[in-house]
Amino acid sequence: MVLLENDSFLTELTRLFQKCRTSGSVVITLKKYDGRTKPVPRKGHLESFEPADNKCLIRASDGKKKISTVVSTKEVIKFQMAYSNLLRAHMDGLKKKDKKSKSKKTKATQ
Amino acid sequence: MPVFQTWDEFARAAEKLYLTDPMKVRVVLKYRHCDGSLCIKVTDNAVCLQYKTDQAQDVKKIEKLHGKLMRLMVSKETHSGAMETD
Repeated sequence: MVLLENDSFLTELTRLFQKCRTSGSVVITLKKYDGRTKPVPRKGHLESFEPADNKCLIRASDGKKKISTVVSTKEVIKFQMAYSNLLRAHMDGLKKKDKKSKSKKTKATQ
Repeated sequence: MPVFQTWDEFARAAEKLYLTDPMKVRVVLKYRHCDGSLCIKVTDNAVCLQYKTDQAQDVKKIEKLHGKLMRLMVSKETHSGAMETD
């Protein structure tokens, strides 16, 4: 699992989407993160860890390659904008529901 | 493990589940371009809410919910105060 900076994560995520255009899936996971870097101590042991409240962990995978990044309050605005654009740009293979038929251009061919 | 048929119900249930225990809940998004399908799952390992779609109009809704939950996770507030309703 590769932990990246926010920008590198977005770049790699773009690559994952591009790679999976012909086959495979891109799985993205989002979870609140309290910043712990050590495993949870067993019962009886003291937990000398102060959980941080302002971070989240984002992971992405195409089944083979795994990437991840941590986003905190300071970065979330910028990251979320870039991330939304990325998702919208790449998740374009879905069916478009148009109530109006697109054949507005019923010009007689000349 | 309900799969929701309407987006609104899913979105409300997802946010509610997150607010009950933010540390436990995770959001999983699975996109398959070859199949043209998108699936979003919100779970706390006990309850699992899912929504599947193949419609382009749902991408924006899913991406907005994702962003909303992301912002909830990084905010220090204990509960979402002023959240704009979609």
